Amino acid sequence: MKNEITLQTRREFLRRTVLGSALTWTVPAFLADTFSALQAQAAASATQTVTGKDATILVVLQMAGGNDGLNTVVPYANDFYHRARPKLGLKAGDILKVSDDVGLHGALKGFKELYDNGQLSVIQGVGYPNPNRSHFRSTEIWQTASDSERIEKYGWLGRYFDNACAGAEPTVGVTIGSQLPEAFFAAKPRGICFNNPQNYRFMANGSATEESYKKLNELEMSGPGLTPDDGSGGMLNSGGSIAQLLAGMPMTGGRAIDFIARTALDAQHSSEEIRGVAARVQNQAEYPASPLAGSLKLVAKLIGGGLPTRVYYISQGGYDTHTNQIPTQQRLLQDLGDSVKAFVTDLTAQGNLSRVLVMTFSEFGRRVAENANGGTDHGAAAPMFMISQRVNAGLLGHYPSLAPQDLFQGDVKYNVDFRSVYAGVLENWLKTKSLPILGQQFPPLAVV
Amino acid sequence: MIETLRASRRLVNSMLQELSSDRWNQATAAHLLNRAGFGGPPAAVKQLAGLGLAGAVDFLVDYEKIPDPTPNPDWAKPEPERMLHLQAVNRTGTPEEKRKLQQETQQLQRQRILELRGWWLARMARGPRPLQEKMALFWHGHFATSFEKVRDAYFMWRQNDIFRRLATGNWPLLLLEVGKDPAMLVWLDQAQSRREHPNENFAREVMELFTLGEGHYTEHDITEAARALTGWSLERQQQRYVYRPLLHDGGEKTIFGHSGHFDGDAFIELIVAQPPAAKFITAKIWNYFAGDMLAPELNEALAAHFRTNGNHFKPFLRALFRSEEFYSPEIVRNQVKSPVQWLVGTARMLECDLPPTLVSWGLTRQLGQDLFAPPNVKGWDGGVTWITTNTLLTRYNDAQSLVDGTVPPLTANDFGGKGAGNGQKAMKALQRLRIGGVSVEKILTPEEREHNPAILASLQNRLFQTDLKKNQQETMQAFLDAKTKMSDADIRTAIRLMMSTPEYQVT
Repeated sequence: MKNEITLQTRREFLRRTVLGSALTWTVPAFLADTFSALQAQAAASATQTVTGKDATILVVLQMAGGNDGLNTVVPYANDFYHRARPKLGLKAGDILKVSDDVGLHGALKGFKELYDNGQLSVIQGVGYPNPNRSHFRSTEIWQTASDSERIEKYGWLGRYFDNACAGAEPTVGVTIGSQLPEAFFAAKPRGICFNNPQNYRFMANGSATEESYKKLNELEMSGPGLTPDDGSGGMLNSGGSIAQLLAGMPMTGGRAIDFIARTALDAQHSSEEIRGVAARVQNQAEYPASPLAGSLKLVAKLIGGGLPTRVYYISQGGYDTHTNQIPTQQRLLQDLGDSVKAFVTDLTAQGNLSRVLVMTFSEFGRRVAENANGGTDHGAAAPMFMISQRVNAGLLGHYPSLAPQDLFQGDVKYNVDFRSVYAGVLENWLKTKSLPILGQQFPPLAVV
Repeated sequence: MIETLRASRRLVNSMLQELSSDRWNQATAAHLLNRAGFGGPPAAVKQLAGLGLAGAVDFLVDYEKIPDPTPNPDWAKPEPERMLHLQAVNRTGTPEEKRKLQQETQQLQRQRILELRGWWLARMARGPRPLQEKMALFWHGHFATSFEKVRDAYFMWRQNDIFRRLATGNWPLLLLEVGKDPAMLVWLDQAQSRREHPNENFAREVMELFTLGEGHYTEHDITEAARALTGWSLERQQQRYVYRPLLHDGGEKTIFGHSGHFDGDAFIELIVAQPPAAKFITAKIWNYFAGDMLAPELNEALAAHFRTNGNHFKPFLRALFRSEEFYSPEIVRNQVKSPVQWLVGTARMLECDLPPTLVSWGLTRQLGQDLFAPPNVKGWDGGVTWITTNTLLTRYNDAQSLVDGTVPPLTANDFGGKGAGNGQKAMKALQRLRIGGVSVEKILTPEEREHNPAILASLQNRLFQTDLKKNQQETMQAFLDAKTKMSDADIRTAIRLMMSTPEYQVT
């Protein structure tokens, strides 16, 4: 099923560039047969696959800097909380109650509405064993889903692409930003990133330059990469190999140039696709004016345009509130709640909300006790938010104890391993086995 | 069984033969210069070819004979007074004073690390000892240490200086120097290791990532090695390594089955004596300079050569660069240029200046190789992982900026992400800048400019040292022929187009 969805545009490309002309004399016969079969399949399922209407989508929203979980999902009735935070502690009047003990920060009105609609769940006390308090390292741990002591080379989403998205379009993973997050690092690099669709293109000073660029980057199907008796021949005979070959996967023993040539075509193709969608699709909700809202607007357009993307990655920075936390966090959470709420409204109008799950994370929460500068220092466990029409709404798990004897070096202890959340997302939402991706079996949390 | 062993031995012995002299020409010389260095203009290739294989390899490997007068950054020294002041404020200062000092320190360090990036890139692009810099870059990727945790530009410079000083030196000596250097002591937490609580981070990574590879040591070896390493510590005020006997666990340890009262130095000796050690490091160096390991026997031969020569890199590299295997068709023009190679190589081949540091840094970072900030202790993956749809488009677009001398489409995020404010300031400053760019008169003679085929042939030789595909040549020819009057800008666009090909991304 996933191949049907993800292969579509590639088939279209094949039809145009290979089957159109050169095929008859440059491609060996057994390959030509396979191409024809693909073409027939593509024609049969064209409408369904163009829009990919049945594929679920994950939107990962990173709250970079270490958001203060205690002042986000607030234990307003807890004495230990108020004792640890004489200045920063939020009172009943400052919060939006969701239970007798817990309320959302008052700025999260957007989230409260979603919560009341049964579209938001709060997973309480998420973390991992032996928490690391370095931004750099803890972010890496979240991005690679590794144990605290172990360094992983690849990201958890990269491993998802490697394991479950063979043959996928490069747009299977899309990051709005200028750097691919470590979560996307993969053995076979996939996924694209850009800030502004207008920059994700070959910038030419004139049509002659543009034309020449396209010709210089034409794939020569008669090149060594497709001769069955060289290093790539074995791959062509194995299952699913056409898809892999065309997905621009590196071939062991193959020439680097062949990989790059295929990536160049992918780039040209996805660039046109993305700019086309961004220009064609209109947002159907009022968003705030913030970088985060800008990213979400773009994601909504790309979803509405039917990109075969399974994972979008966006981030909002500024949560490292060592000093003067109150106004900073107020502003950031307001932006977060309002932007995500607008995004949900937009997707609802599109009719795509049921396909989309938004997951937030931050590299760590902050110390229970406030510091002397009106801020908080790096901590450990914190809540995560899940937003979707089909989410298992409400408060999940239980609030970590704030009693001094239950803290570890001044931080709350986790009671949900973040990798259980990932396992739940992978198994229940993206519908794939989590073990090969996470490397260990974590009990999947029922997120939906 | 014995027969196969003998056959395998024969195969090992037949490896690393010297390239026959009739294969030494401009093309093989260009390959050597591209890989052992960062490439160069046609004149440099010609000069190297004229030296003969042995002469050319010696010229690159015996770089000490060429003076390199590059001065160190003026801040590249310990600052005990500043450290003392930092300590005092941290002990007795008000929160406001602490915060202010912290901010100033951070700003100072950011400024210095940026300067260091420019300083190193300039050495690679213009320095007289390309192999030394290329090896320093190898060691930086191997002992991948990041400023993001170390947070002290002086420490990063010191480590870089070791990589350069011992670039082609002795393996155990390099391991000891790097291990006992402040940057590594901080990066892998050795500075925090105590007899009562040995920190295993360095002990683990030194075996897994630096010397042996997974599967060649046990968890028990790690625990015991961590005990041996206790005592390696950091003198923060003097900003240097110190051995602290009080922190050292002097008891007996068992590592790789050997028992003794080992300390850190003894542990490093034990590692290097392990049979997989030579295979591990020689395979990694082969991969860096050449590419795929062509046969297991080649790795055997490389490791044997390395051991026979006392674990010294210089004779090993000499043999590698003279070997037939290094010039085989599977190796030549089959390596993806790293972002640094792409940038520095372009400057060398087109005889133009690097863009200002801020831009050069933004470019390499955007392309996935942020010097002094590798993604993690495993370093950069390299190879085809440098190439994604967006890094490829970025390379194609940055090519235009490099040849034109304009500022590429960078975003605030390309200057460090977190401090978006700083990024925006940097961007504003940049908009007023014009950067190097290619001077056409330097790379084309007036005669060449008269004939489009001559222009094409000359640029092709300069950028690829080989021919483009036939349809690509036709495309370029048509592009040039369509110009009624060829301006410098047209030539620069032609260069940019030739750089906007899959072919330009490999070397």
